[in-house]
Amino acid sequence: MQGLRWLQTTAYNALAIGLGIIAGLAVVVYAGGHIGVALSSLFLNPITLSGGIQQIFVRFVMFYAMGLGIGIALKAGLWNIGAQGQLLVGMVMVFVVYTFLAFFPWPLLYLAMILGAALGGLLWIAVPTILRVKFGANEIVVTILLNVVALNFAFYMLSGPIKSRGTALGFPLTDILPPRFQIPNIVAGLPITYAVPGTIAIGILLYFMVERTSFRVKANTVGESIETAKYAGISIPRVMTITMLAAGALAGLAGATYIMGYRYELDIGSFSTNYGLVAIIVALVGRKHMLGIGISALFFAYMTIGAESMALAANVPTYVVFAMEGIMMIGILLGNYLSERRFAG
Amino acid sequence: MTIAISDIAIAVLSTTLQLSPFYLFAGMGEIVSEKSGVANMGLEGIMLLSLVTTFIVDFMTGNPWFAMLVALAIALVIGICFAFLAIQVRLDQIALGLSIYLFGLGLSFVIFTTLYPTGLTPNYVGLPPIFGGWGKVPVVGIIFLKQNILAYVSLVAVPLTAYFLNRTSLGLRVRAVGENPKAADNMGVNVNKVRFLATLFGAVMFGISGSYFAGNFVAGFQTDIIAGRGFIVLAMIYFANWRPDRTLFAALAFNVVYALQNEYVTISGFGVASVSTLFNMLPYVFLLVLIPVFGRKARAPKFLLKPYRKG
Repeated sequence: MQGLRWLQTTAYNALAIGLGIIAGLAVVVYAGGHIGVALSSLFLNPITLSGGIQQIFVRFVMFYAMGLGIGIALKAGLWNIGAQGQLLVGMVMVFVVYTFLAFFPWPLLYLAMILGAALGGLLWIAVPTILRVKFGANEIVVTILLNVVALNFAFYMLSGPIKSRGTALGFPLTDILPPRFQIPNIVAGLPITYAVPGTIAIGILLYFMVERTSFRVKANTVGESIETAKYAGISIPRVMTITMLAAGALAGLAGATYIMGYRYELDIGSFSTNYGLVAIIVALVGRKHMLGIGISALFFAYMTIGAESMALAANVPTYVVFAMEGIMMIGILLGNYLSERRFAG
Repeated sequence: MTIAISDIAIAVLSTTLQLSPFYLFAGMGEIVSEKSGVANMGLEGIMLLSLVTTFIVDFMTGNPWFAMLVALAIALVIGICFAFLAIQVRLDQIALGLSIYLFGLGLSFVIFTTLYPTGLTPNYVGLPPIFGGWGKVPVVGIIFLKQNILAYVSLVAVPLTAYFLNRTSLGLRVRAVGENPKAADNMGVNVNKVRFLATLFGAVMFGISGSYFAGNFVAGFQTDIIAGRGFIVLAMIYFANWRPDRTLFAALAFNVVYALQNEYVTISGFGVASVSTLFNMLPYVFLLVLIPVFGRKARAPKFLLKPYRKG
């Protein structure tokens, strides 16, 4: 029965994703794109285009890290809409550490940059966490507000404190990280960095820490009913604090992998894509499961790159991908509902 | 160089009065919707789609009123879809709202760039200022008379919403289905029907907000034009403890801070310099600081986000 249910949920999810893709194709064809070109760019470009493979793994790492955090918080019923803000702060922190702790010896500085990014994300989410735990303030509202603040904070840092001294025209741009501060590829020539196994290791670790311990029950109880959790003697502030801080740290870490493993510098372009929202879908499609989120992250990494490349090929703005994701998400919610209803009797 | 304090005050008041209606319409809509137990997080998606509709229909027909009407129809259609999925099918309201946001964010921009590859509608008419040429009169004209009629409607909408929620029987039912749907049901109230109506009202109000945005913020359409301002509405009604009068206060206060920092950045000539971004944060930080002060007493409707199944 369990297997059948899994199969059905998967079938519904596939149907929902198919619907989203068809909607995207419809827009592209309507805008004058050729269907064959659109299909081949959607499915083949991510692996055939130069840099495609690299992009897939860069996004996989970001989606997985952020999705894990969002998923953990969701288990406790908390919505982290602010992963994008925590990600930006993480990116900025890499350069804050690089610039202001430059007197550290190399391996220590390298480590400090990664930890600094995680710490930045953690501090950023500490605000909604404290407000939620101490004042009962809604975490959705606060994380949304902090996204705007994070964006302005990042602009400020970029145009002053961490700006490269080398740029003549005064563009808001940081230095390029020298190779010894970059995350290296596992195999020379193949653009897959150590961030990939690193993130998978974190995912597996969290699987054992979250899914296989009593913590899962505690978090789920808090998520489903505060009253029951109180009754069961679960420390609600503790569960909330742990899950929220973990979510922030993971999103900050995602920022470090993006900068140190792919972009090596920070400019305004790094802020333009909202990865935080996609990560929410990734966590929901992965059904908040620490390993499921990994599979879903890999899929969305591939799909978003394919869809963006399809849009570019047809001269349609890549924003169409957002509309596709919206449709997919509604379909996935519906699918979950249908399969649950069927098996609940 | 000295700039008269009075000039700054006039500019700040004028900007505040121009920007606040956007938050007020949406705020009143979301209050009624949430009071009934349904939070619509997709408000910004609805705003974006009605905004782009307003631009396009206005350009095609030259009639700003007709443009607004079509925009409201679009908002209503999305509202019906949202209400059906959230209330009848009982999907997770937050996840559903975010999907509607993504959908609107993507689709609005695609529609616009497909129709107008240059990015600007050549002749955007928009609603006229309510007192025509009087808008150039010093002080009173610049602050009050140059606004279009929607600005005044938004100010009237606040006491009307308060009256509706607190003094009418339908308003009482809206609050009842959000506080205790079971009891309301026992009293013979059709819970889901009331929620449906409240949610649709909300969607139409988001449509008005989006439509108002078209004429009062920027001249052309661009990516992510509302830029999270819709989500700020959620924060405002939270601080206002779901009370229309306090939402008016929150919206005015937020926009005064916004207008002040905007004036300051302009006058001081920071331009693109780094410090201006710090000032841009101020309205949001201002809202954040208010949380421990006002948010402490905030109490959401008891059955907010909780779907109701009869029996």
